[in-house]
Amino acid sequence: MFDHRPLRIAWRDIAGPCGLTLAIALLALACGTYVQYVVSLCLIAAIIGVALVLIVGFARVIMLTGGAMMAVGAYASTVLVARFDVPYLISVLAATVLGGVTGAVVAVPASRFRGHYLAMATLVFQFVIIIGLREWPGVTGGAAGLNVPNARLFGYVLASDWQYVVFIGIGATVAVAILAAILCGQYGKALRAISATEIGAESFGIDVARYHLVAFAVSSAAIAFAGGLLAPRVRILDPESFGFASSVFMLAYPVVGGMHSVWGGLLGGMILRALPEALRVGQELQGLIYAILVVAVMTFFPHGLIGAMDRLARQARPVRKKFAAPSAIAIPATPAGARSEQLHDGATALEMSDVSVSFGALRAVDRLSLRVRAGTIHGVIGPNGAGKTTLFNAISGFIAVDCGTIRLFERSLSGEPPRRRIHHGMTRTFQNVALFGPLTCIDNAMLGLGRNAIGESLAASLAQAVAAPGYRARREAALEALAAVGLDHLADRHAQLLSLGDQRRLELARAIASRPRLILLDEPVSGVSREEEAGILSLLRRLSGERSITMLVIEHNIQFVRRLCDRVSAMSMGRLLAQGDPETVINDPQVRSIYFGEQNGAASD
Amino acid sequence: MEEVLQLLLGGLKIGAIYSLAALGIVVIHKATKTVNFAHGALIMLGAYFGFFLLRLLGLPYALVYLLAPLAVGSLAAGTEWLLLRRLRRADAFAVVISTIFIALAVTELIRVVYRSDLLSMPRVWSGPPWLVGDLILTRETLWIIAGAFCLAVAGASLFAAARFGRPMRAMASSLRGAQLCGYSVDGVYAQAWFLGGTLAGLAGLFLAPVMGITPELADIMIVPAFVAAILGGFDSIKGAVLGGLALGLIETFAAAYLSSAGKNALTFLILLCVLLWRPRGLFPEYRLRDV
Repeated sequence: MFDHRPLRIAWRDIAGPCGLTLAIALLALACGTYVQYVVSLCLIAAIIGVALVLIVGFARVIMLTGGAMMAVGAYASTVLVARFDVPYLISVLAATVLGGVTGAVVAVPASRFRGHYLAMATLVFQFVIIIGLREWPGVTGGAAGLNVPNARLFGYVLASDWQYVVFIGIGATVAVAILAAILCGQYGKALRAISATEIGAESFGIDVARYHLVAFAVSSAAIAFAGGLLAPRVRILDPESFGFASSVFMLAYPVVGGMHSVWGGLLGGMILRALPEALRVGQELQGLIYAILVVAVMTFFPHGLIGAMDRLARQARPVRKKFAAPSAIAIPATPAGARSEQLHDGATALEMSDVSVSFGALRAVDRLSLRVRAGTIHGVIGPNGAGKTTLFNAISGFIAVDCGTIRLFERSLSGEPPRRRIHHGMTRTFQNVALFGPLTCIDNAMLGLGRNAIGESLAASLAQAVAAPGYRARREAALEALAAVGLDHLADRHAQLLSLGDQRRLELARAIASRPRLILLDEPVSGVSREEEAGILSLLRRLSGERSITMLVIEHNIQFVRRLCDRVSAMSMGRLLAQGDPETVINDPQVRSIYFGEQNGAASD
Repeated sequence: MEEVLQLLLGGLKIGAIYSLAALGIVVIHKATKTVNFAHGALIMLGAYFGFFLLRLLGLPYALVYLLAPLAVGSLAAGTEWLLLRRLRRADAFAVVISTIFIALAVTELIRVVYRSDLLSMPRVWSGPPWLVGDLILTRETLWIIAGAFCLAVAGASLFAAARFGRPMRAMASSLRGAQLCGYSVDGVYAQAWFLGGTLAGLAGLFLAPVMGITPELADIMIVPAFVAAILGGFDSIKGAVLGGLALGLIETFAAAYLSSAGKNALTFLILLCVLLWRPRGLFPEYRLRDV
């Protein structure tokens, strides 16, 4: 069956905005020169708006250095043309690269700590750049300004308004196309995954700091590109026009338009840039009206104009019969006993020897040695505070071990950051579900495939835009993982709308998508209903058997452990209390007294 | 030697004002988890309210120092109560963005009312300066260093004080926990904004005679206030006060021995270095366990 959905997304979110951009530029040809001038400015604002959707909406970093980045682009391209006789187009490309590098430099120190530190660093950087431009008159013309020569393309000089509007229209279309492809593709999804849960993202190979850094660099480069396009249009550059106020105005583009979509940045930029021209009130009132408008939009339309339009459209549309989402409970159960002969002893999946983890004086894991045989389902039980979750965090790399070694399929894991563990064939689920809530189930599973290094995901974004075969293959793999847990019928549903049981299934789908050899399951049935519990039990046994996945399971539900696991280890105070087949461990007098609080060894459940 | 001491006095003077400014940011951030980009605008409002009360209503300075900061504090609390509270329900990220535009609105409003003229405030104390050796100590300088520093310490102790500060500190450590203990989030958040706004207003009042009063004060003050807060660790009350003093000294000496552009570049460089190597500030409140 040919799957049309990816093409539809590409059409709606990439071709649509590009088409609009180009159409507006061409429509302006029919208008007067003043309109052509304003449209040129609006098209440049559209680039900035979409660039800011990337950094503000997707990476959730407040960027207050838009004006300075634009100045970097405008001044760099002008200086290259005027001083060094570089062809205009090449100077704009150089300015774009310079903008990207500058953005990376600003973001390097702050991206490690993220969020508001980066916002404050951009604020300070904005002021420093403008002061630098003013105090360095030899190159920048200082406060007096810098004259910009007419743009010259292949020996053809752009002089009139219509020529500029066509040229800027083409430039804006190209920029919007690239940005939209990045935003709608794998890269944009990974960025949104980070904002949903950083730990979840890190577990599936997403390098959080580097993603933020690249997002900042790409945004900065796009804004510098816009600056390079703008320079010949405004004839004279002066530092004040790129000041802090301009950065704040730019920040309003995605906020007012809607910061979670390409359309939001595009429309926000165009509308807000045209607003002062349309208002035609006194210069002194414009800033005030602008600020009040933005605060009002934020208060009444928290998702911006695009969000408001979506809501209107949904209300206008006749209510479709709400299809009852069948839960994924009904899955043929495999009898538990049918599987035991598939066990093959010999290979070791996970071997921990003498592992210790301490928090200050507290030894959460105390010289623990554990061997998990390949192909088995291995349970870990024990009272709260026994160190089970700490053990998992040590295996998945979120906590450094004090001493001891952890070997996965004979390879040492020491020094590997959490995001690299998926490449060793290990994934995990979380006690408190850590799904990428704002993304759809299929997107969650696709990120679970684990090919999330920066370069790979940027390339995948572009592949998706042209619906290349590589993208189709990954989508098929993700769909297959969803089908394996019985969620394929909910592929396009947002993860945050699922029931808890289905969310736990989706975590499983995400965990198996990359075809790992070992999965860590942290309380896979905590908080789910009885029926759902039975469903997940048979699902886990089936997955383990069909895909020969080794599983290490933490669970407090003893009946569940007894029916699921081939072997069980009981932990207490960071040490191993007992180990063996489920019945032996559960009936062990020491385990019964510590875990179940029984005085004597009398068995009763 | 005299020159160094004179610069030291100048540095402490501006540093004490930075301390007040940074302290307000940290109080608001600690209690409400909101980075207040409108803090510069609040400082500017403090200066304008002072001018209004002093020059237009003719109140004595003592009353101005009481009323103007309280007015700014009430305004900040009102903004939180009427606007930010609504936004926070949707998205905490939106609250931070909205403070940027609230600052723009306030600054532009002042610009519409007062234009961009430079207004001036008379000195608080008149009289000849003292001479200590060759060192000139004006009454103004002494008043700012001592007054601003004491008020910063007072503000810090108010945050630490049992009745007023406990709910705020409770919210800072656990929002849900504080709610379950019967503290009203809305009330405490408004209180924190009131305290932060009052501190900003005080900073503006101390600043007014030194720098003059223009709408630009909002932009001029926001950067040093943030940098001072980051120097102190951004969540450390003590650090904000010390960070302000340190920044004042660094800036003054840099301006004297480098240039005004050098001063700004140095500010940025210090910020980057602190973020890179001491992300929890030079004066952290407590040591985190290495986990």
